[in-house]
Amino acid sequence: MKKVITVCPYCGSGCKINLLVKDNKVVGAEGANGVTNEGALCLKGYYGWDFLNDTKLLTPRLRQPLLRRQRGAEFEAVSWDEAISFAAGRLKEIKAKYGPDSIMVTGSSRGTGNESNYIAQKFARAVIGTNNIDCCARVCHGPSVAGLMVTLGNGAMSNSIPEIEDTKCILVFGYNAADSHPIVANRIIKAKEKGAKIIVCDPRYIETARLADLYLPLKNGSNMALVNAFANVLINENLYKPDFVANYAEGFEEYKAAVAKYTPEYVADITGLDPDLIREAMRMYAAAPTATILWGMGVTQWGQAVDVVKGLSSLATVTGNLGRPNVGVGPVRGQNNVQGACDMGALPNTLPGYYPVSDAQARDRFAKAWGIAALPAENGIGITEVPHKIHEGRLKAYYIFGEDPLQTDPDVNALRAELEKLELIIVQDIFMTKTAMIADVIFPATSWGEHENVFSSADRGFQRCYKAVEAQGDVKDDWEIHSLMATAMGYPMKYNNAQEIWDELRGLCHLYTGATYEKMADLGYVQWPCPTEDHPGTPWLYKGFTFDTPSGKARLFGTEWRPPLEKVDADYPLGLCTVREVGHYSCRSMTGNCSALQTLADEPGFVQIHPDDARTYGIKDQSLVWISSRRGKVITRANINERVNKGAVYMTYQWWIGACNALTADHLDPISKTPEYKFSAVKVEPIADQNWAENHVKQTYGKMKADMRKAALA
Amino acid sequence: MNRFVITEPSKCIGCRTCEVACAMAHPLDEDTALTPQNFSPRLTVQRIGSITTAVMCRQCDDAPCAKACPVNAIVFAHDSVQVVQSRCIGCKSCVVACPYGAMNVVNVTAPAQPQTFFASRRAKSEAQKCDLCIDRADGQACITACPTNAIRLVDQSVMTATLQRRRELAAQSLDSKTQF
Repeated sequence: MKKVITVCPYCGSGCKINLLVKDNKVVGAEGANGVTNEGALCLKGYYGWDFLNDTKLLTPRLRQPLLRRQRGAEFEAVSWDEAISFAAGRLKEIKAKYGPDSIMVTGSSRGTGNESNYIAQKFARAVIGTNNIDCCARVCHGPSVAGLMVTLGNGAMSNSIPEIEDTKCILVFGYNAADSHPIVANRIIKAKEKGAKIIVCDPRYIETARLADLYLPLKNGSNMALVNAFANVLINENLYKPDFVANYAEGFEEYKAAVAKYTPEYVADITGLDPDLIREAMRMYAAAPTATILWGMGVTQWGQAVDVVKGLSSLATVTGNLGRPNVGVGPVRGQNNVQGACDMGALPNTLPGYYPVSDAQARDRFAKAWGIAALPAENGIGITEVPHKIHEGRLKAYYIFGEDPLQTDPDVNALRAELEKLELIIVQDIFMTKTAMIADVIFPATSWGEHENVFSSADRGFQRCYKAVEAQGDVKDDWEIHSLMATAMGYPMKYNNAQEIWDELRGLCHLYTGATYEKMADLGYVQWPCPTEDHPGTPWLYKGFTFDTPSGKARLFGTEWRPPLEKVDADYPLGLCTVREVGHYSCRSMTGNCSALQTLADEPGFVQIHPDDARTYGIKDQSLVWISSRRGKVITRANINERVNKGAVYMTYQWWIGACNALTADHLDPISKTPEYKFSAVKVEPIADQNWAENHVKQTYGKMKADMRKAALA
Repeated sequence: MNRFVITEPSKCIGCRTCEVACAMAHPLDEDTALTPQNFSPRLTVQRIGSITTAVMCRQCDDAPCAKACPVNAIVFAHDSVQVVQSRCIGCKSCVVACPYGAMNVVNVTAPAQPQTFFASRRAKSEAQKCDLCIDRADGQACITACPTNAIRLVDQSVMTATLQRRRELAAQSLDSKTQF
């Protein structure tokens, strides 16, 4: 038995794992002594690897290229030559007929790695000639990147995960660490044991609320009002640091004016919070010698998300909680490599290394390195704009790489109707997925564990994953597939291994230049910026209180609160908020194929509902119920739960039957284009015939699995 | 004093890693991976009101399960309460007696009997509870796996140290001039 070092392919905590390998098969996982996890793992880390062995519990691994010559026809297995020539030929035709911007490409924030994301965006920009590349940061921490880029100059966590346990106050805002990052939750527990004060702002009584010194159960959709009120208290009670603001920040007078009317009394109705509780929270936060703000999807998946991120960043700025150890702002990234996909430029507005596509000098440098005349200068479109652009007739082809938008994007029924209008859908994945089922071409790729790569953890840490097993079947590494496509489209691209790609990348990006494969060997951890090879990397940003904004100062920001776009009414009286559960990840193509994780939770998932609401709507605990919005209707199981607030219900987003994204709306934040997953008006109805409902779920699920198995094994 | 495993609710995040670790350490069927059918952890995570914690056997020194067992299948051994599965008849008296809900009767597939003429596999009832992973070289699986170190083994020395700490705290809380 050998041990192979890797990084967990699930959340962004960056936990190092030793995979136990016997006869080319992974047989176990144990915690390795990584910087962020220090030997600990969580449920998914310990038991989330057996999908590699093609358990076929949910869907089969893809083993061969598949082609559908006509819409509605069956898939047929074809050679790589035929699949590539078909897909490249069609893409070339579409590009010639409609122009490069009629093609959309995704990066993948999941198990594939940084090298393949770099190649995917190079394929989009250099081969197709478009900035239409995006990744699921758009539906996740896109607002954090957009907001923090403006206020501080970097879209990432300012400080490191290990520092969380040495801060003296943690303000947790819309972030359920226990379910999304158990290893970060552990740091919060350790901080508490070391005497830190914990403040939790969340409508649900989440696990961290149990150990909070102050718990602020704000109403769903009132974030901006609360953040403004926090600022109002800091300023009016002179809790902020005027010297820090004078020397290192800008825009204070506008900020002060913007939050002036947001007194705790003014927001009491909006937030549902006692004004004194709001004051107490800011007195506690400002009094701490070091304080850290952590946030998650509870901040970003709203129609007003970028504004709230800027507001939270401003709280850290005015209290001087930036530019030193154990402080800062922490948007804790959800998917294991969503930080990396952004780092690699799988975004429509930035090149690798966060050079804006509008930066002519950077474009020239990349164009020269890539041997092309020029790179596109206009921002591309984001994945959430895809259905609209198809509707307008401007998008004709979609090359989807390691994503399952028909499971994870909002309003999936409307999305499906639009995707079906495309002239070409290419899916590159390791599993058959809902989205792959409607593809014209499917490229089967190697999985995490079957190739080597670098991941970026949530705190900007580059780490290496080694190859544990040889992939089975006729599959290729993602970067090799993109290279074959590029070559077939007339741009010869060839790499011998991932390291060649990595070295090309770091030669082009000053933030990453010093992060060599050698430095990242074994348990090595290099946090960007790492500008030279003798540089150790940067655990915390903004040394000397110099920010990476054009002026070098931190920008302060407050603005009017906007309520959620959709309103509850008599027909749809409850607000649906989509959330996470610890045992499943993303669209569940990986975790659903892991025996232990699938054992703990399976279809049709749950809707969490407060006991009073359950009584009002006649819902019994554990019964199957209908839940519907203006966009769709699905069956799920009721979980009557006194930890959720009245008037709101909560569902996790990975289920096929209980698919909450059939209910969600694609109301987008105006800046980051992130959907308002956290608020859709819904109703919940009991089902009288539970036997029928149980059978219906079983049969529907069985049929979906059978159809996908048949398609994958064509 | 019997040893026991206990969870500190202040550190538990309700992630159920311990349940899976326990089920994998005590497989009902050696040959297959976990399924909803064979998933039978000997501790269960409870998330109720303001408490989140894993509940399991307390290894009572005066164990009601042992008293209730009509066939003396529950015995004191290795500073703990253990079930002698060969004696268990699956009557569930112990399940009813346990105040912690920590005992569970499950049907397992008994190994084939090599001596018998019909060497077939047969069903067997077992009363299952936390056995402190007594046969596991690496100790208690739940303790090793818990990502927040919320689960601990309490033995005589830990109990003595805890009691001493409490006594010291109690003494410190008294005024030196206190008279009773």
